[in-house]
Amino acid sequence: MLKAVSLVLPVLIPSWRFFKAIEPSPRVEWRVLALDAPAGTEGGAWVAYQPRPNSVSLAQMIRRLFWNPVWNDALFVVSCAERIALGVAPMSHSINEIQRRILRDIKRSGPDVSGEMLQFRLVFVYFENAGLVQDVVFVSDPFSVGAPP
Amino acid sequence: MTFDLALRLTEILLALAFLQQCSEHILWSGETRWLFVPRAVLSCVLLTGLYSPWVLLALSLHSVLVLHRFNGPYNGGSDRMGLLVLYCLCLSQLLPAGLPGEAAFGYLGMQVILSYFISGWVKIVNPEWRSGRALRDVFSFSAYPVSEDLRGFARRPLLLWAMSWAVMGFELVFPLALLHPATLYLALGVAAGFHLANACLFGLNRFVWFWIASYPSILWLQGRLIDSF
Repeated sequence: MLKAVSLVLPVLIPSWRFFKAIEPSPRVEWRVLALDAPAGTEGGAWVAYQPRPNSVSLAQMIRRLFWNPVWNDALFVVSCAERIALGVAPMSHSINEIQRRILRDIKRSGPDVSGEMLQFRLVFVYFENAGLVQDVVFVSDPFSVGAPP
Repeated sequence: MTFDLALRLTEILLALAFLQQCSEHILWSGETRWLFVPRAVLSCVLLTGLYSPWVLLALSLHSVLVLHRFNGPYNGGSDRMGLLVLYCLCLSQLLPAGLPGEAAFGYLGMQVILSYFISGWVKIVNPEWRSGRALRDVFSFSAYPVSEDLRGFARRPLLLWAMSWAVMGFELVFPLALLHPATLYLALGVAAGFHLANACLFGLNRFVWFWIASYPSILWLQGRLIDSF
């Protein structure tokens, strides 16, 4: 009951502080873990999850007004990443949501990694002095491709 | 705009916004498909106008399940506005006719005004917004631009400065639009255009539909306030 109240109250009394400050922005990256590799070299290269396309046409933008599930899913992943970085409880919820989506997308159209272990990390990007800076703020435990988390 | 007409328009617009949202979950996301089927069915019933108070109550109760499933809103501010519209509609239908029902709907109108004004206020007190740097950051590294080539806007400081002040100025003066029906219609048109631009540049399509669903409440509130004075 208390949980329900804590979820509904911010809806009834919203803060409306959109883009108050531009905080470091998360990127999710994943990799295959080769568990039989020599120590220190067990991880494959990190791959960007849900990378943005180089361009989107005006027609696509207009179509996305009505049908935009991929992008909205990506925005939810951003929310989960921010919740993990802020330590919003339960952390396991946000971690599982990201893991589920990585597994789902790999099964839909990714490389064949059946039987492998995967890992994801959160890289936060921000502007400092004259350039963009990237900080790794979270690395997940390995999770199996075979069974959902 | 009469109270009954405003309520009915809001019901229709909210039902359509929910159906857009549900279609994405049901047809694409797979695992949360069944969570959104009840919302889609109830939204279809809401469109007909039959048993509206009970349909709104059922949608409100169901919304708590959805909030639980995602440990909060799935799409931040847009989901919050959708649910605020839903809860205020529900209360305005279930509370006794007259002032209590009108107060619930008026609260929605007031929150819509605040959604613009507070957004403008928190920006203008931030020096990074006043200098245009905040919008540069949005384009250069935030997760929102829908494509990499849009990040090129980050290299146009004068344009970003002008855009920042245009957004802050509009948001801050929005409450003044209530002074006359014509200015309110004009302001709502500009606001809808603003949400449309955000949808195109940042993929925030659900904001468009949920904010438009809230507009009848301001149109009614303005008439109600003018009548009071």
